[in-house]
Amino acid sequence: MNGYNFEQPSRQSIKGIIVIFGVTAYKIIKGTIVVIAVFLLKYIRSDKNIDFLSFKTVGISISIILLFLIIAFLKYLNFQFYVKDDHFFLKKGIFNKEEISVASSKIQNVYIKQNLLQQLINVVSLSIETAGDDKTEIEILALPKVKANALKAYLLQSKAHNDRLNTNSLEEAVFYKASVKKLFLEGISENHFKSFVLIFAFIIGIYNDVKAFVEQLDLNAVFGSWFQLDEESLVGLLLFNISIVVALFIISFLFSLVMMFIKNFKLTVKQKEEGLEISKGLFNKINLALSASRIQNTTIYTNKLKQVFGLYKLSFTQAMANKKQQRNFNIVGLNRGQISELLHQFYPKVEGQIIKNRPNIYMLYRLVLMSTVMLVIINVLLFFWSKLFLLINIPLILYLAANAFYTYKKSYYHLDNEYIAIGGGRLIDTTTSFLEIKKTQAVSLNQTLFQKQRGLASVTIYSASKSVTIPHINLADAYRVKDYLLYKVEHENKNWM
Amino acid sequence: MALFSNIQIDVESLPKSDQLVLVPISHTYFKIIILNCIIAYAVLIGALSIFNIFSEDYIINSLFWFLLGFLVVLFFISLGFGYLSFKKRKYAFREEDITSSQGYLVHKIVTLPYNRIQHIEITRTFIARKLGLSTLKIYSAGESGGDVAIKGLPKAVAENQYAFLTKIINERL
Repeated sequence: MNGYNFEQPSRQSIKGIIVIFGVTAYKIIKGTIVVIAVFLLKYIRSDKNIDFLSFKTVGISISIILLFLIIAFLKYLNFQFYVKDDHFFLKKGIFNKEEISVASSKIQNVYIKQNLLQQLINVVSLSIETAGDDKTEIEILALPKVKANALKAYLLQSKAHNDRLNTNSLEEAVFYKASVKKLFLEGISENHFKSFVLIFAFIIGIYNDVKAFVEQLDLNAVFGSWFQLDEESLVGLLLFNISIVVALFIISFLFSLVMMFIKNFKLTVKQKEEGLEISKGLFNKINLALSASRIQNTTIYTNKLKQVFGLYKLSFTQAMANKKQQRNFNIVGLNRGQISELLHQFYPKVEGQIIKNRPNIYMLYRLVLMSTVMLVIINVLLFFWSKLFLLINIPLILYLAANAFYTYKKSYYHLDNEYIAIGGGRLIDTTTSFLEIKKTQAVSLNQTLFQKQRGLASVTIYSASKSVTIPHINLADAYRVKDYLLYKVEHENKNWM
Repeated sequence: MALFSNIQIDVESLPKSDQLVLVPISHTYFKIIILNCIIAYAVLIGALSIFNIFSEDYIINSLFWFLLGFLVVLFFISLGFGYLSFKKRKYAFREEDITSSQGYLVHKIVTLPYNRIQHIEITRTFIARKLGLSTLKIYSAGESGGDVAIKGLPKAVAENQYAFLTKIINERL
């Protein structure tokens, strides 16, 4: 098949040296960026003129690069893999030799990825995910795409002997391809507050690092004249702050939009016998296989704006996938019909059957109480800072009230023979999560002192990846939900995977 | 009662977990709670005292007795909560699952079916060893914290249950 004999030990593509070199350099630069920045800063401050072309600097740089190239070359030479007796073997290490073997039956998934460097030199990386611990990391950094696909097929084929006949005959139907228009609409309807917080935190984070640098640039001299900071007039200060906030919002908006495209470029979903295959990404191309048996929670996300555009996001969590990978298991830009179709594939008959059981009104009281506490704290701070800002209370109270009301209104749970469905969301977002009862790992009943006074409790259902919570229901109902779930798990004794 | 749709079994007839009689853990475990509390506050009070001795700052020196008193009050409050939450530490083994409960402010009763157990272990800290106590930990495949840890079991009980659970797991396979 395909002309590759995986039983013979083979090395990765010779281009692997470049990838190993790139990865090592990236790691080192990432780890020492602060040190480098400090040196650079010192250099800029001092009036010394270091000759970058002097024999010494050039010599040192070249020998460092050469050293890493040699290490990369040795790593390449000492990296061999082969498949034998239904085991995948990997030998690596220059001084510390390592030999890893994985039984084919233990292989959970094979990922093919491509980062920017790998795209440039036209190779892909292949990583193998095993059951159980996520410490064993098996990654072949550089393979020609054809060979990687062949190896993937070979590994997964020997895993499931029964499927061997099916794999070739099964036609891969492209279920969905995200158009540029869809991604654009998804991008502009994102929750920009999230990006805002992210960028804000980033700026605060690096602020201390670059503080000295910024002081050097003397921003005040440039921008101060625009806003008359010297006069310290309140209007000037306000204008300055508002324009910073507006600028940050514009940046956040662009950031969400660009991130949407980087993450989901050429998003393609293929339907397969055992699940889905998702491929996407601009700089980091990823290819994920989603098998129905390993899916734990499935969540549908939308918000007010996305609803207008008819956009929904479907995200999955999988058992035994590492956290970094977990975040990629989502499909954006789906319409209502596609959502129904996918749901039907994994959760047949659930749609249209949902009976919304509402939480107790105590949930609303609690939300109002917590919003009030927050409001009081904000007001106390504002009171001591500037009384003008107390005006912010008008939109804030409206927002908090509406948020509390909608959070309560959107919350519900549904339970039937096979599934648990939980509805949630806030003022703008709406989420619906599904979990198969047989995938329950444990059930807990939680009761705070306040809930106890009112005879209420919450039920948390743990799965192999994420837990779902039914909040604030009557204690008797909570016990019955728990009894029911335990009964289903214990007596039907279905495999959770 | 439209609690569940498409219902096939009578929910009322299911084994009821609210009627489950939970067994309290060993009394001796309260000693560990007291000891942990004493150690934690001794470190805090010690640090405060050392800071006070070496500090020349007038404000700190004048506040010292106030802070010390505050810590002592906090110590007794912690002890009180320690006692209340100790009373909530209970467990029960049923035919098909294991239940453990803990927490005073947030009371949490976790139940883990035997057919979801991944592995079990017994751990014993230094103090627990001296007092003849063990912690029985039962792990499910859940990454999200659906595990059961029963602290303060008498050593013999923990080992019995360990053997019992091991037998169940082996029979399952």
